[in-house]
Amino acid sequence: MPDLDLDQLYFAIIDGNAKAAAAVTKEAVAADVDPQTLLTDYMIPAMDEVGARFEANECFVPELLISARAMKAGMEVIRPLLLGKAVEPAGRVVVATVQGDLHDIGKNLVATMLEGGGFQIVDIGTDVSPDKLADAVQAHQPQLIALSALLTTTLPSMKRMLDRLTQDGLRAGVKVMIGGAPVTQDFADEIGADGYSDNAAGAVNLARRLMDAAA
Amino acid sequence: MNPRERYAAVMHYQPRDRCPIMDFGFWDETLPIWQEQGYPAGADPDLFFGMDPQWRSCGCIMGLWPPFPGMQLVDEGETEIVQQNDGVIVQRGKFLGSIPRHLRHTLVDRESWNAFYKPRLRPDDPLRLPSGPAWEMQLAEWTRPERDFPLFIEGGSLYGVARNWFGLEGISAIMYDDRPLFEEIVETLADVVIAVLEHVLSAGIRPEAASMWEDMAYSGGPLMSPKLFKQILVPHYKRITGTLSKYGVDIVFLDCDGSIDMLAPLWLEAGVNTMFPIEVGKWKADPVEFRRRYGKDMRLMGGFDKHILMHGKDAIAREIERLAPLVEEGGYIPMPDHRVPPDVRFDDYLFYLNEAKRVWGNGLDNIKPTGRPV
Repeated sequence: MPDLDLDQLYFAIIDGNAKAAAAVTKEAVAADVDPQTLLTDYMIPAMDEVGARFEANECFVPELLISARAMKAGMEVIRPLLLGKAVEPAGRVVVATVQGDLHDIGKNLVATMLEGGGFQIVDIGTDVSPDKLADAVQAHQPQLIALSALLTTTLPSMKRMLDRLTQDGLRAGVKVMIGGAPVTQDFADEIGADGYSDNAAGAVNLARRLMDAAA
Repeated sequence: MNPRERYAAVMHYQPRDRCPIMDFGFWDETLPIWQEQGYPAGADPDLFFGMDPQWRSCGCIMGLWPPFPGMQLVDEGETEIVQQNDGVIVQRGKFLGSIPRHLRHTLVDRESWNAFYKPRLRPDDPLRLPSGPAWEMQLAEWTRPERDFPLFIEGGSLYGVARNWFGLEGISAIMYDDRPLFEEIVETLADVVIAVLEHVLSAGIRPEAASMWEDMAYSGGPLMSPKLFKQILVPHYKRITGTLSKYGVDIVFLDCDGSIDMLAPLWLEAGVNTMFPIEVGKWKADPVEFRRRYGKDMRLMGGFDKHILMHGKDAIAREIERLAPLVEEGGYIPMPDHRVPPDVRFDDYLFYLNEAKRVWGNGLDNIKPTGRPV
């Protein structure tokens, strides 16, 4: 299939065109293109570009979401093929909204963007207690934890979660990144989190930096 | 000068004796926690704190009619799953002050719009356009010349309610998957608002301001692109503000939390001329900066960082003094930039109020005292 243009996959994701993303991916698979190549050379760079545009206020939440949906459409095609290969994700991340907070919009956006960046996501939900987080860390052995809070009154929950990880001897093996409307870099420093991002696209870059630092 | 005259004078940069003393209310948990710090149980906050008459509004039905039946679907102990009156199934805390988590939306596409929502948004529904003796009595109250409190009228919502019905992901997808549907929804919402406004205002009510609500921004900016906002929403905001203007309602404030920097000039262009509550947040919104940027065309309500209420009396006093020149200039009514959370101490809030009354209210005798006996 000499006229197969894989850049179409890149642009389909940037344009948020799920049908086109799925179609090009299927064509590529039929033409024996390595699915890992599709993921690392086209899909993840496309989401990186969308993330960069988002951070530059050149695109907004709707565009971010439809691009992520297009990437998922492509991923649906290659996921079964990747299972057969020992493909390592960029990292495994446990994501959660902290105890006392039921909101999930910010958490879901971050999870979507991290997934678009090649990370494996373990979403343990909202209103997550320190116990539940510690259990999830033991069960899933993530390299990263991403915690979200919307309310000023639930910020202390973040500190309690970090304390619990320390108490259980789990803190040293995992990097913790935090975010949410009331969260700041100062707060992250104060409670000893490893990183803070003020937006979902920035969370991907932060996660990569933390992975590099841990390597 | 009565509160009605004072509100109008401030918002039109006219001479007045002082600034109105208003607030945005409190989290559900705040007053019960303050009871342990001295707030009298059962006290009416407006009376106890000595606020000027505030937030009185002509009750108009601009939302879904009839509403969906609200009901508990699952009792989970500390949380419950309920169907809200807007048809959204949510999980919410019974005891937490958290925002409910959307689980399922009834509105997902054109079919569900036509089946469940459009029939509830008929601009000509007689129940939206009240008549009869009860309406006449209400009308008499609102139109009496000696009314001494500022009266507001709802100006609706063109994005916020639709976002609630669809969820953020749903409405974001609809903008691209079925833009005509998104446009139809916005137009329908505006049609309902305009029909109700025409009915109420043509009866002779002259409110001091109209209040709109959107909550369509977060800490990083707007939840939709300013380009689409301008193409799709601004024309309908203009229809609404044009209707208000026809009846002399020239103050239109819009409630939107989050960072509104990118939307504020577009609202201003559309005739929405008052930003509220100017949530300061970590993006450091500042009413003084808004005035510098947009001049007197943009009025402001709010903008006192509620977090400063947690930083002690010196910080509170400094911020009150910092905002005083803007209060003096007019077109600005300061108040906390959202509901006061429970981690503010009761005595610090009392200090804030007394200082606000002294500095912004010029300490005049016509200000109600703080801490009235119940």
